[in-house]
Amino acid sequence: MHPIFKHRGRLLLYLAVWVVFGLLLTVVFVFGAKAPVAWSLEFAVPIAVALGLQSLSFWYVVQAMPPGDTPVTRMAATWAIAGMVSLIVWIALAYGWARWLLPEGQEYSDTATGMLPLLIFAGAIGISLAVLGHYLAGAFQRSRNAERRALELQVLAREAELKSLRAQLDPHFLFNSLNSVAALIGNDTTAARQMCFLMANFFRKSLTLARQQAIPLAEEVSLAETFLAIEKVRFGDRLRTNFDIADDVKDVSVPPLMLQPLVENAVHHGVAHMLEGGEVCVQARRREGFLELVVANPCDPDRPPSRSTGVGLVNVRSRVETLCGHRASVDVDASETAFRVSILLPAVSSHTVTT
Amino acid sequence: MRVLIVDDETLARSILSEHLLKLPDVEIVGQAANGFEAVKLAEELNPDLMFLDIQMPKLSGFEVLELLGERAPAVVFTTAFDEYALRAFEVHAVDYLLKPVEPPRLAAAVERAAERMRNRTPAPSAEQLSAAARPPGRTLERILIRHEGRVHVLPLERIDYIEAQDDYLSFAAAGKRLRKQQTMSDLETQLDPTRFVRIHRSFILNVERLARIDLYGKDSWLAILADGTKLPMSRTGHTKLKELIG
Repeated sequence: MHPIFKHRGRLLLYLAVWVVFGLLLTVVFVFGAKAPVAWSLEFAVPIAVALGLQSLSFWYVVQAMPPGDTPVTRMAATWAIAGMVSLIVWIALAYGWARWLLPEGQEYSDTATGMLPLLIFAGAIGISLAVLGHYLAGAFQRSRNAERRALELQVLAREAELKSLRAQLDPHFLFNSLNSVAALIGNDTTAARQMCFLMANFFRKSLTLARQQAIPLAEEVSLAETFLAIEKVRFGDRLRTNFDIADDVKDVSVPPLMLQPLVENAVHHGVAHMLEGGEVCVQARRREGFLELVVANPCDPDRPPSRSTGVGLVNVRSRVETLCGHRASVDVDASETAFRVSILLPAVSSHTVTT
Repeated sequence: MRVLIVDDETLARSILSEHLLKLPDVEIVGQAANGFEAVKLAEELNPDLMFLDIQMPKLSGFEVLELLGERAPAVVFTTAFDEYALRAFEVHAVDYLLKPVEPPRLAAAVERAAERMRNRTPAPSAEQLSAAARPPGRTLERILIRHEGRVHVLPLERIDYIEAQDDYLSFAAAGKRLRKQQTMSDLETQLDPTRFVRIHRSFILNVERLARIDLYGKDSWLAILADGTKLPMSRTGHTKLKELIG
């Protein structure tokens, strides 16, 4: 629906502008065509309002041809045709109205036919103003939408930050890791130290990354690697990892903490439930101007239904979609024995984003 | 005291055994890395006390207890995070330890186990154990069956129907049959009533498998399953099913 109908105030204001246009038209008729004042008023104001209502249809043309995305020639041609059609319809309406106003038994006077050039002129101006107005309104709406999207993005990013803080404080992850450290201190102090470094590294990295808008993929991959290195100390041979990151995507800009929750799910909902363990695969490559990021893991067909499946995934999906709109996608391919998430993002280098 | 350690993490087992070995009169008779091994070792070794991790692949600690039933030794649960304490209490666990476990706390748990052995506190019943194996407020999601020394995990969606045979229940899933010692009414209360309906004194049907209902005689019907199997249906069963599928 036309957005003007959503607000009564806006609609009234819009119609008031057209009433003013009608009054101006009256003045033109009175002084330009020497028409009687009462008749001019009766004739001009309704047809002006009619032109206003008719012009509301331009909204859909504006929507179909967003400025910037449409070639100028196509825009000009479309508007020429739309304007012409609109003008003809309006003049026909005006003539019908003039005839209706004609006193009983009186013939069409010459004043009406004599008004044709005046009507064409006035109609053309009215229509041009209406088109302009619609483009202004469209631009206003777009800037408001952009503002809202930016706000939404901020909220989602903040949410992800909170989630990541919670993930660092994921009690199972934290206490199990500490338990591993405690165990290692008894028989392998070097490994215990290594584990402390890994944990410090992970917490520090996720704290700094979460505060940023966008980061190079390489940093996100490094965070995921650290996370998996910690989990490998716990799970031993059962957790295997395979990173395949193409060189030409390492500096592609991605929202922070996009990969980490997926890798975490792959471990906690996938490999952790398998007796013999399994391999978490992370793959990134360029595909026709897009970054394709895939996280895949095997899973146990008999695993108990998870209580928290998809929370991380839902968050990743909404952030990716808010950030890149319809040009990005998150696909989930879940079978009995395997789980695979693939994300497609427009490949924008992080250098162009920061400068 | 003969102790069995069950945890899927090697390091978690090693720190536990390290501290346990420092205690007097403790002998570690075995270590299991998952629920299946735990069930097997608990039966073979017959330990006095089992340190049991809760979150493990395939079988949770609670499910291990359910499978062992009345043959289960005294149990001390170990977990990284406190969210199962209440359920642990329901299965009469000797103690409930949080990882990393501090040695004095471990010693206290072993002492409590020894105390309980001296007093011969009765073990929890099989029903209590199977009820605790389920997360609170939720219906059963899978059936655990021991068959010829092996443990089968049968997700409910794979079950076509369940038939009562003497003291056993026979689970029909994709043409195969698995038997478990349990009563029909006990199982019925644990199942989601919108997915499984007791259509007959001896039959519980997975509603998703139903293809059509045929009238068989006065007050008796036949449930025809998608694979062509015919099951008898009583009048109350028919009413219940009709209510559910409309």
